[in-house]
This record gives sequence, C-alpha cells and structure tokens, in this order.
Amino acid sequence: MNEPHNKVSISPVGENKPRIDAREKVTGAAIFADDLQFGSALLHARIKRSPHPHALIKKVDVSKARALPGVKAVVTGEDFPGYIGLYLQDRYIFCRDRVRYIGDPVAGVAAISEEIAHQAVELIEVEYEVLPPVLDPEFGASAQAPLLHPDLAKYVVANFIFPEGGTNISNHFKIRKGNVEEAWGQCAAVIERKYHVPHIQHVPIEPHVATARVDETGEITLWGSSQSPFAQRNLIAQSMGISQSKMRVIAPFVGGGFGCKAGVSMEALAVAIASQVKGRPVKLLLTREEEFYTAFVRQGLTAYFKIGCDEKGRLLAMENKFYWDGGAYTEYGVNITRASGYSSSGPYEVPNIKTDSYCVYTNHPVGGPMRGFGMPEMHAGLEQCIDELAHAIGMDAVEFRRRNCLKTGSVLVTGSQMHPTGLPQCIEKAAEAIGWGWKAAPSAPNKRRGKGLALMWKAPAMPPNAGSSAWVELAEDGSVSVGVGGQDIGQGVFTVAAQMAAAALGVPYESVRVATPVDTRYSPYEWQTVASRLTWSMGNAIVNAARDARQQILKTVSEAWEESPNDLDIVNGVVISFKTEREIPLKNLVIYGLPKPDGQGWRGGPVVGRGSFMPTYVTGLDAETGQGERAVVHYTTGAQAVELEIDLETGRIEILKGVSAFDVGKAINPELVKAQMEGGFVQGMSSALFESLQLRNGAVQNPSFVDYRIATAVDAPKDLQAYIIEVPQDDGPWGARGIGEHSMVPTIPAIANAIYDAVGVRLDGPPFTAEKVYLAMVDAGIIQ
Amino acid sequence: MIRNTHPTLPEFEYIRPQSVGEACDFLTRHAADARPFLGGTDVFVRMRDGVLNPKYLVDVKALPGMQEIRFDPQSGLTIGAAVNMNRVIAAAETREHYPLLADACRSVASYQLRSRATVVGNICNASPAGDTLGACLAFNGVLHIQSSQGVRQELLSNFFRGPGKTTLQTGEIAAALFLPLPHAGSQGVYIKLGRNKLSDLSLVGVTALGYPDPGAPSGYRFRLILASVAPTPLIAKQAEDCLAAQPVTPASIQEAARLASEACAPIDDVRGSARYRKQMVKNLSARALTSVWEKLNRRGQNDISSD
Ligand SMILES: Cc1cc2nc3c(=O)[nH]c(=O)nc-3n(C[C@H](O)[C@H](O)[C@H](O)COP(=O)(O)OP(=O)(O)OC[C@H]3O[C@@H](n4cnc5c(N)ncnc54)[C@H](O)[C@@H]3O)c2cc1C
Repeated sequence: MNEPHNKVSISPVGENKPRIDAREKVTGAAIFADDLQFGSALLHARIKRSPHPHALIKKVDVSKARALPGVKAVVTGEDFPGYIGLYLQDRYIFCRDRVRYIGDPVAGVAAISEEIAHQAVELIEVEYEVLPPVLDPEFGASAQAPLLHPDLAKYVVANFIFPEGGTNISNHFKIRKGNVEEAWGQCAAVIERKYHVPHIQHVPIEPHVATARVDETGEITLWGSSQSPFAQRNLIAQSMGISQSKMRVIAPFVGGGFGCKAGVSMEALAVAIASQVKGRPVKLLLTREEEFYTAFVRQGLTAYFKIGCDEKGRLLAMENKFYWDGGAYTEYGVNITRASGYSSSGPYEVPNIKTDSYCVYTNHPVGGPMRGFGMPEMHAGLEQCIDELAHAIGMDAVEFRRRNCLKTGSVLVTGSQMHPTGLPQCIEKAAEAIGWGWKAAPSAPNKRRGKGLALMWKAPAMPPNAGSSAWVELAEDGSVSVGVGGQDIGQGVFTVAAQMAAAALGVPYESVRVATPVDTRYSPYEWQTVASRLTWSMGNAIVNAARDARQQILKTVSEAWEESPNDLDIVNGVVISFKTEREIPLKNLVIYGLPKPDGQGWRGGPVVGRGSFMPTYVTGLDAETGQGERAVVHYTTGAQAVELEIDLETGRIEILKGVSAFDVGKAINPELVKAQMEGGFVQGMSSALFESLQLRNGAVQNPSFVDYRIATAVDAPKDLQAYIIEVPQDDGPWGARGIGEHSMVPTIPAIANAIYDAVGVRLDGPPFTAEKVYLAMVDAGIIQ
Repeated sequence: MIRNTHPTLPEFEYIRPQSVGEACDFLTRHAADARPFLGGTDVFVRMRDGVLNPKYLVDVKALPGMQEIRFDPQSGLTIGAAVNMNRVIAAAETREHYPLLADACRSVASYQLRSRATVVGNICNASPAGDTLGACLAFNGVLHIQSSQGVRQELLSNFFRGPGKTTLQTGEIAAALFLPLPHAGSQGVYIKLGRNKLSDLSLVGVTALGYPDPGAPSGYRFRLILASVAPTPLIAKQAEDCLAAQPVTPASIQEAARLASEACAPIDDVRGSARYRKQMVKNLSARALTSVWEKLNRRGQNDISSD
C-alpha cells in the first residue's frame, strides 16, 4: 500500500501545507451546527432528567406539561421501545422502567421556545422508587452490589465483548500469558500499587447540539455536531426500527470532539422528539452543565498493578486488575476495557502476564470514548510502576525503559510480533531534549525541580472490520473534489485528506477541495472519526480513489496518444509522457474527454474515482487467554518528558518544559503532527494537574468551568517541543500511522515521575492539584 | 442533586431609570422582584443558574455620577459604582496612590470580564471570595449609598454580614466607593491562590498593606485581610496588632501569619479543604507580609538616599 503512485517527486505529502479550513474558521465564516437556521418552524427541546442515581420509574405524568401553551410535543420512554448502543445495546433512548444516573433522560419536550420547553420540563411529574446506587466499580463488581442491568445477558453484543450476565460486569477481558505465579520467584524486585484515575470530561468549546426533522413519510434528517454521522445513521435507525436509508445525517464543522461526539449520545433524543412533531425541525442544545454530566465522560479507573523484574532489570511478570467505572450504560465503554486489556503490558515485552480488565456498571455518568481510549488512564499507573521498579533495582529509569521497551519483532502481550517501531528512537529523543540526568537549580529557595519521562503505545481500538471509503471527482478547471465521510474535529484531517489526494493523483494541493459538510446521503461511508484512524484508514481509501481516477485519466490519454499508460504520469495537474514529452493539462479532459481524430467521436468522460479500505487481517483473541495472531492493525508508540518545579509553600506545580517524541510512520503534514503533540501534551497536563469530575452520591459537584478547571495557555509550559520519528507502517498511506490521541497518553505519569523526582512523593492518582501535592508533602514530613 | 439551569436567561423586564429618585422608588415599590445591576457578571450568572429570579432588572449604570472616577488630593478617590475594573486599573490615580487596588482588580477573571465587572458590584455581591474586597477594606473604604431618604455612608468594615449578605436595605443603591488617601509610604500586596493560573476564584486570597507609623511601637502598621476563609472577608486583627506591637522581623511575621491562620474558619468545599486553606493562610500571609516589609524597606532606603 505504500508508494501508491509515483515516479514523481513533486508531492505535497510531507509538506506543511496551510490548513484547508483556516480562513473559514479564523474569519468566523465556518458553519457549525448551532449556526444553521431553520426559520419559524423550529421547535426547541429540553429534557426531563432523573434526579436520582438509581431508581425505578413508577409513574410519569406529563399532562401539565402538555397543557402549557407553546408546547408541541411531550415524549417518554413508552414511545420508544428500541435499545441502542455501539458495542452493547444496553440503553433506551428515554428511560422506560429504571433510571441509572443523575441526568438520565426520562421525558422530552418540544416547544416554541427554549424557555417554554424548560418550563414544561419543570411541570412533568415523575414518581420514583429510589434504589441503592453503585458508586464504586470494585464494589459494583462484587456479589453484594445491587444489579443495575438485570437483562444484561439478553442484550445484543459484539462478539469480542464478554458480559457476565447476573452481575454488573459488562465486559471481562482476560490476558493469560506465560506463568505469572512461577515468575514472581525469579524477580529481584516486585512493585505492587493501586491507583485511582477520576472521571474527566472532554469539555469541547462547542457543547453537543442536534436538530432533527422527521417528514410525513418518516424520513429522518439529523443535523448535528458529530464525529460519527454514519454510526449515528446506523444506530438511531436500528433503534427507531427504520431502514438506514430513511435516515440522513448532516454534519457541519465540529467545535471540538475529543471522543465525546462519537457514537450516539443526545442525538437520539432530538430524533425521538421530532418523530412526534412531523415536519418540524426540533433542536436540542445541551447546556454546559448537561455537557458535564449527561454527555459522555471519561470513565474512572481503579487499577492494581504488580510488576517484577530480575536483577538485570529485565521485566519478568505483570499482574494487572482494572476496574473501569463504566457508568450507567457501557455500550461504548466495554471496548475501552478490551483495549486496555490487550495493551495492558504497556509498550514493553513481558514474558509472563495476567490481566483482568472489568467494565463495571455504576450509577455514574455514562462513560465513553475520550482521546486515548483508556490508555492515558492505564499508563498513568503503569508508567509510575516502571519508574519505581527501576529505582528498586538501582537502575536509571530511562535505561530501564531502553532495555525493556518494544522493538521491532518483540513478542507482544497478545502473543503476536511487534511491527517495525521507532520507540527506541523516541526514548532517546525525549531523554536528550529534556536533558535527562541533569538537574538545574530551582528558581527560588522554596522551590524544587524534577524531571520525569514516560512511554506509551496505543492501537486504533475498533471492530476488526471498520471501513472507510472515498471518492475523487474532477471539474472542468482540473480542480479536484474529495468526498470523505470522516470529520475534521479540529485535528486537521481535511487538510491531510487534500494533501494525500493531491499527491496520489498528481495535482497541486491548492486545487483540491474537500466535499463538506459530511452528509450521509452524498458522502462516502466512514465508520467513525475516532481511534486516530482517519489519516491511516480514510487515507488509504483516498489513495485508492485517487488511483482509480488516475487510471481513468491515463487510459483516456494513452489511447488518444497511442502510448502505454506506463509511460505517462500526472504531474502538477498535467498529464505528461516520459517517452514523447507530450503533455496535456487535466482541465476539460476530465469532463469532456478527448476527441478521436477526424470527428470519429470521443473517449473518456467525467472522471470519478472511488476507493475504499477495510482492514481484513485483524484476527480475534481467545476469550480465556487474550492471545491471537493480530489483535489490532498497528500500534503508535512514543515518549514524553517533562521538567517541572514545585512550590513548597503552596504545592503548586509549574511545568517548565514538555517534550514529545512519537513515531508516526510518516508525517503527512509535520506541522499538524506537531500541533497534535503539543495540544495532546497540554490536554494531558490539564488532566494531570486540574481535572476531575467530583462525584458525590452520583452527582457531579462541579458541572461548570467555575469549578471544573482546565489548563489555559498560561498554564502550558513556555518550552514545548515535539519530535517526529518516522518508521513506516506497512499498511498506512506513505507509511503513516495515527497521532491524534497518543500525545496525551504518557503525560500523567511523566508528570507524576517528575513530581517524585522533585520532592519524593507519589500520589495515588491525578489530578495532582496544589492541595494534594502540598498535603502529601506535609504528611510525608517533607515540609512542616 | 442537580440544578436544572436555564438554557438561556429567564425572562425579565429591563428598567433604566433616569434619576436616582426614580430608581430608588422603583426598587422600593417592587421590593420582592426587582434588583439593581451594574456589570451583571454576578446577576446574570445567578439568574441563569435559577438562584435569582427577578422580574425587573434595574440598570443603574446610567444614573448621574455612576460612571465617574474622581481623585481629590486632599481627601481621596471616589469610584462611581458603574466604573468597570479595567477603568479602575487604567486610571493614573489608582496606579499612583492605590496600586494595591489595581493589583486586586487585575487578579479578577479576564480582561473581557473586567470590562463589565465593577468594584462596587464585587462589594455588593459580598462573596467571601471577592478579590477586590480586601484592598477596599485595607484602604478603609466607605460606600456611598443612596435611597429615597438621601445618602448614607457606610464603612466597608461594617458592611459585610455573611455570604451575599450586607447592610443594604431594600430600595438602597450603592452609588460610589470612596477610598480615603492612603497613609504616606503605604505598600501593599495581593496574593490570590487559584487552582490554575488564570481566572479562577480565590481558594485563598491575602491582602496585606503596611505603612510607617511613628505612633506604633514597631514603627509600622499593617493591614491583613483574608478572602475565602470565613463567611465574610476576614480582617486578621490579631495579626495586624502583633506586627504593630513588636519589631517587625522574620519571626514576628511568622507569628502574625500563624495568628491569621488561627483566626480564620474556612470550610471544606469543591475548591479545597479547610485544612489546606488554613495552611495557605499561614504561608501566604507570611509571603505577603514579607513582601510588603521588603517594599517598605526598599522605599525607606530610597528616601534616605534622596535626602
Ligand atoms: C467568568 C467570571 C469570572 C469571575 N471571576 C471573578 C474573580 O476572579 N474574582 C471575583 O472577585 N469575582 C469574580 N467574578 C464575579 C463578578 O464578576 C464580580 O463579583 C464583579 O465584581 C461583579 O460586578 P458587576 O458589576 O458585574 O456586578 P452585578 O452582577 O451587576 O451585581 C452584583 C450584585 O450586586 C448587586 N448590585 C449591583 N449594583 C448595585 C448597586 N448599585 N447597589 C446595590 N446593589 C447592587 C446586584 O443586585 C448583585 O447582587 C467572576 C464572574 C464571572 C462571570
């Protein structure tokens, strides 16, 4: 698949092309879902939500709400019996019999204004029988816990997810490799630790918004801020009991996703309500508070690690137990549990390993995908254990990682072999750039400095057969339109799509446009914009589509010129012959074709190339051992290092420097790759220092930016460096792999290791707030 | 429990009176459901949250004198209630005579917010976390309050009664803040501890001001006022007295900081624990007082050299 074209060196791949959407976004011209105008027919929706973390619904009385002037529809779960969910169908659109988290939708209203809808919601009376909640995943997994999904065993589920009916465990992923029990005896040092990683939220600048219209024939149109228009078409259609062809999703620009706009969350609510007011568009815009506790959140994690090595520092054994706090519904979260299981060794070769990764239902907000898909949470503890283990045998932590890290051909936790990887180079680069082994004096007597480093790996987590498709169409002027179904969520993928299409076809980048907004009626299929998979998977589809178009063009020209297509190429929008040095620009020819001599007719015609891509080589894993031939398509690897300073009088941490080095296979657009590394570092840093959803009895105590703090530009280190390593990927376009999520995976442990280096304390989990650091220093007797 | 916040602002009627009399009348007549506002940065947020639900919002920004900022070299600075914080910061008189107030204003939120938010609004809102309250107290600020009965003047040290509670009566409007001339040689510091660097509310705020006073045994008087560690801004009287009574040394500063920490009664909340806040009062009071003391000494040296 690599080297898809080309005899030519003029290629925009690898160049820092300006972002294709920059002008629109900077000038404010870009259209987002909330900008769309629907005129006076528009109705506004608000949702009646459960105030209890766990209760049975005894009675819903909507009569007063219905009677309120201006109210056009009130719906409840009675109206919508279908389940919905991505990997596990465990959710109704509106609750029917039971509520499982504070915020669970019980009824919905459409009215002529948001305020009237709000008032109507207040008039809905719901009688509950309150039940004891599950607020901790470890307790939830135990036999004492109340059952939250008595029907778990009956739910429709993907064949690689293993729910345990009769419990709250909606997925149990296992690794059994080698013999852990025997290995402990050979270990010179063993570290055993427990960590807790709290829930956080994605906090996109643009909250979730969806507008739905159902016409008289039942055809549905949904406009939304979405990472997954096609998955939404599929899942909502299934749940509503209609054909996918009757559902159309239009997805304009997205103001930040980070995973929370993947799959289906509130969009189904808008569709369901709209189905009761045919012909009228119904808009649902979440408030920031609702964004915090009713959209997807990142699951909490309680993790146990036991890791041992021999006296030479060779990792011998690992025993890991992960209790994922999946929340009320784990339709998406079950696969996070799986991903963390098949990656549970971290980026290391470990001969003996036993992992149990449990997805547990709790009465917390619904866990879902977030940048990193379980990897930041898992690495948070693992990469601290690695540091501690190195210290325990008196070895430098970087040297320890050098020895144990995955190299090309290493045996993976799932039993297969590592593909070519630049992880060792990433370590060297990060260590060198941070000045590993050298400590500068603190900036003031009451401060302490430290450095820390951590590694990561992550594969795209998805069904084995997640597909992409693309088309490439040319206009009279020779300009190119690329149709894709993936979404630009700020990561720059439209730019990269245009670069790849231009390079594969042989036209200048500037003459390529991406056909947006994504519209499931006209755009080609894409599974979802998740898993850092677009540059790689959609990229492969684009290359195939461009190649198809190219063949059509070269066929026409070669016939006209009576030359072999092998002697022809397209360079800079011009078909050239290496043999005869003839040339002809693409314009006109790509629509009208070329005339045959002497008025004998024409050849060719409008050029439309099509291409698709689906990995066909991912195999299953044994349910008992987690072993298999190829668990995933590939792993992106990398390293981060930080230097920080801690104020002994307040506990405040200042990140002075952050360094990232990732092996992206091939940087299609190096500046965009670096931007991902920088952005990921800052988001990782924010989750390390500030972020947590403070849950009490299932209620989020800080559902707004007043008390959910995130890093701003001034919190970011002034010195932020990013290094690109390129060891090509065999199944990627030009050798590319993903980088979108990876850059926030190792940040928490890199910072934790630096805190330890600075003051000698370890905390049981993020966020490492000034308060926690300060009090830990007091408790450790470091300060009085 | 969750609060069902309004998707947008609830409905209200906007009232813009032309005179103080008209405004006070209106507020008196609609005592239960009218509210004055300035920048609205507290009012609108609380309305959307469903905490406040006024039928009428009375915009008092256009009333005579409300937009004025006036300095009288004989008496002091008068800041009209509607003067926003960016104007307070930008005013030459503030910078020259009350730099502590400018610093405190600068610690509030962001530039954008400060172009709406007012110092008087900060005072009337009476949040213990209000960042400008300490500076205004340290300068012995006086609030000019208008009502149908006329004008009354209230010392700020008497004004705060609890979170969101003040001595303001129905129908009264705060018209201006008056800050008397500071004592000669005053030096001040505001330290705000937020969870991250920009635009957080104070977890702890420490305002310290010092000036030479030959009448004090130590030769100096200090003001020390704490934010977010009591139901109202807390004047750490014992700490202030401690530094007046004995020579100012690193040890007496530590002792004053300890007294301040003892005097405060913080609570546990989502922002932080009482334990941490208490310790931060100690550490940051010491830091603030030390910094003021250094400034006082630097100034002293300059005075000598300029003799
Ligand atoms: C994003 C954000 C960040 C913030 N950050 C900070 C911060 O860092 N530090 C901080 O201290 N505060 C902060 N605040 C709170 C707020 O901005 C300040 O309290 C501000 O000073 C209020 O001034 P205002 O003019 O907007 O007051 P308004 O909202 O207009 O009024 C505040 C209160 O005073 C009453 N009132 C107003 N005018 C009068 C009057 N003339 N007479 C009698 N009563 C009156 C109102 O009814 C209301 O109760 C923040 C607010 C927001 C929205």
